[in-house]
Amino acid sequence: MTDEYANPWLYRLKWLYMLLLVVTLMSPVLYVMYISFNANGFGARAYDFTFEWYRLVFSDTLLLNALRWTLTLAVVVTCITVPFAVLAAKYYKTAQNKLPIVFLLLAPLFVPPDILGSALLVYFKSLNASFIWLGDQLGTSMFDGWFRLSFFTAVIGLIIYTIPYAFIVVLITMGRYRTEQTEAARACGADGWRAFWDIEFPQIRAGVFSACSFCVILVFNEYTRTSLLKGGFDTFTTVLISQMLNTGMSPQSYAMSSMVAFTAIAIIGSIIIFTLIRTESLSRLARAKAEPVMSS
Amino acid sequence: MSETTIATDKAPAVEVKNLSKHYGPVKALRNVDLTIAAGEYFVLLGPSGGGKTTLLRTIGGFHKPTEGQVLLHGRDMSHLPPDKRPTTMVFQAYALFPHMTVLQNVSYGLKVAGIDRKQAEEKAAAMMDVVGLSGFAERKPHELSGGQQQRVQLARALVLDRDILLLDEPLAALDAQLRKDMCLELKHLQEKVGITFIHVTHNQEEAMTVADRIALVADGNLVEHGKARDIYRAPVKKFTASFVGENNMLSGRVSDVNGVSCTVDVAGSQLVVQKRGQQVAHGQPVDLSIRSELVQLSRANGSNNAGDGHSILGSYDEAVYLGLTTSHLVRLPNGVEMTSRTISDAVDDLPTPGDPVRLHWQPEAIRLHTS
Ligand SMILES: Nc1ncnc2c1ncn2[C@@H]1O[C@H](COP(=O)(O)OP(=O)(O)O)[C@@H](O)[C@H]1O
Ligand SMILES: [Mg+2]
Repeated sequence: MTDEYANPWLYRLKWLYMLLLVVTLMSPVLYVMYISFNANGFGARAYDFTFEWYRLVFSDTLLLNALRWTLTLAVVVTCITVPFAVLAAKYYKTAQNKLPIVFLLLAPLFVPPDILGSALLVYFKSLNASFIWLGDQLGTSMFDGWFRLSFFTAVIGLIIYTIPYAFIVVLITMGRYRTEQTEAARACGADGWRAFWDIEFPQIRAGVFSACSFCVILVFNEYTRTSLLKGGFDTFTTVLISQMLNTGMSPQSYAMSSMVAFTAIAIIGSIIIFTLIRTESLSRLARAKAEPVMSS
Repeated sequence: MSETTIATDKAPAVEVKNLSKHYGPVKALRNVDLTIAAGEYFVLLGPSGGGKTTLLRTIGGFHKPTEGQVLLHGRDMSHLPPDKRPTTMVFQAYALFPHMTVLQNVSYGLKVAGIDRKQAEEKAAAMMDVVGLSGFAERKPHELSGGQQQRVQLARALVLDRDILLLDEPLAALDAQLRKDMCLELKHLQEKVGITFIHVTHNQEEAMTVADRIALVADGNLVEHGKARDIYRAPVKKFTASFVGENNMLSGRVSDVNGVSCTVDVAGSQLVVQKRGQQVAHGQPVDLSIRSELVQLSRANGSNNAGDGHSILGSYDEAVYLGLTTSHLVRLPNGVEMTSRTISDAVDDLPTPGDPVRLHWQPEAIRLHTS
């Protein structure tokens, strides 16, 4: 792994540096988690461990509703974004001119969240007005609610937000995939679906699962776009932030923040651990089979 | 053209009728007609970009024809996908399933066909023996050399017992020596399994080694087809002569027509050539070809002046030593260069550059091309 002749101190220093970096980045989050278990809340000198704040979160119907909406949003967005990302990556692989595709798919990454959110907001408002006008002309109220701010508009905003991430993650795992493989499977008698499930999917499975996790985390954590585009409901972060803005941080807010952070860390952590274990077992397998390869 | 199809009472393996394939504005195939008998080793030969892959993939069902039909064993299959056709395919590269072992790769088609695993694996292992892969069952594709990877593809295709195997440049990614060895192996394998092989290549040596029959494909057209030997010895089309073998190409005008032969004026020399059934008229521009190994070189002197209709005069340019053979380049009065190829060191008294020389040949060695 490392150069055997390298200075061992340099190596240790590198680890120390990384550790320091992570601690610096994560310490506010860890501190919030620490506070969330204190019965006396933020700033108190005494520390009494408690689950009370979490219990309160889970007995508050407003928060429970928000949690339910967040989860629904996360699931719906993931279910749409990830298949789209897979299709996009598949198309990217076969396309002759790849630059426009990359640009189109990654463009949402470079638009600031508040600009994308408010642009969509204006867009939906005008669209809604146009549809209502169209309905009036046709003498029907059928189109009236289509683009009123709702769960639907929030989903669209979040799909635009999550697609670039999902696309990249899936594309990375397509490294060894070539369209010839699918064609070879077809030539072996597999129909289109069978070829996809047997040949393509196993290769991109890790990417698809990572993309799903990413989408869930992104939706859980997202505030700006969701708060601009949502209809009459709240998500965990919108509740949290409006509470903080209105009444300041309560011990409950700390508990909620910790939960959001913990969910994200847990998902990412399990992906990393899973990947490490898998890489290790694969390389062990490879070493076990590493007899010399004969030519021809 | 001496066109002999192998006599069978079965329908031909492949009949391509008036086939055209366009990609947007690109006309990759134009009105191609072709018949391939069952059990033949058939090669599609031609320059890159000529449409060979397109033709092969249309036969295999990877492309839909823009126009025309593909019949396999007498049945129109133009609109069936690859998995519904009696064909299977070997690709140039990258087609192995990277997440599967060699054994899983080879037995994949059998698994899809619903054959039980133990039986499928036995059959796959037997086919791996045939192609020389025993002992590699548990390897992953990336742990194999290029040649071994192509063997896996062959085994994966042949184990299915389909009766038409399509091969698209199967040896192009291999180095020269390995390509030569595997050419012969392919030929023997085809003789052994007895099914129809349709092999695409741009390499004429490869084509000559494996083919029973060859079709030349260039610019979306099927230029000419026939037995490998005939294509080499007696090409009808100018393109074939320029692409297959090392031919001298001469252009001239018909100066005299009589019975089975005609006389063509090339750079002031009157050359006599068989018409081989082609129609020519006085004054018509035509092309002639002659293989460089059939052209003999001698010094010109007063007594052996060209004029017999089977020789031409020029000035010696240089000798190019190629190992086994040496090419002697001679410039004709009209500036065209001709080559005479001899076994190296067969001529010990080489002319010096600029010397007048005479190139001559047997009367039947030179060929007329009107198209
Ligand atoms: N998928 C495609 N889209 C557009 N043009 C193509 C496509 N495939 C091939 N072509 C064009 O069709 C012509 C024939 O290509 P191909 O059949 O691959 O030739 P070959 O195999 O003889 O090299 C070429 O001009 C090529 O650029
Ligand atoms: Mg090709």
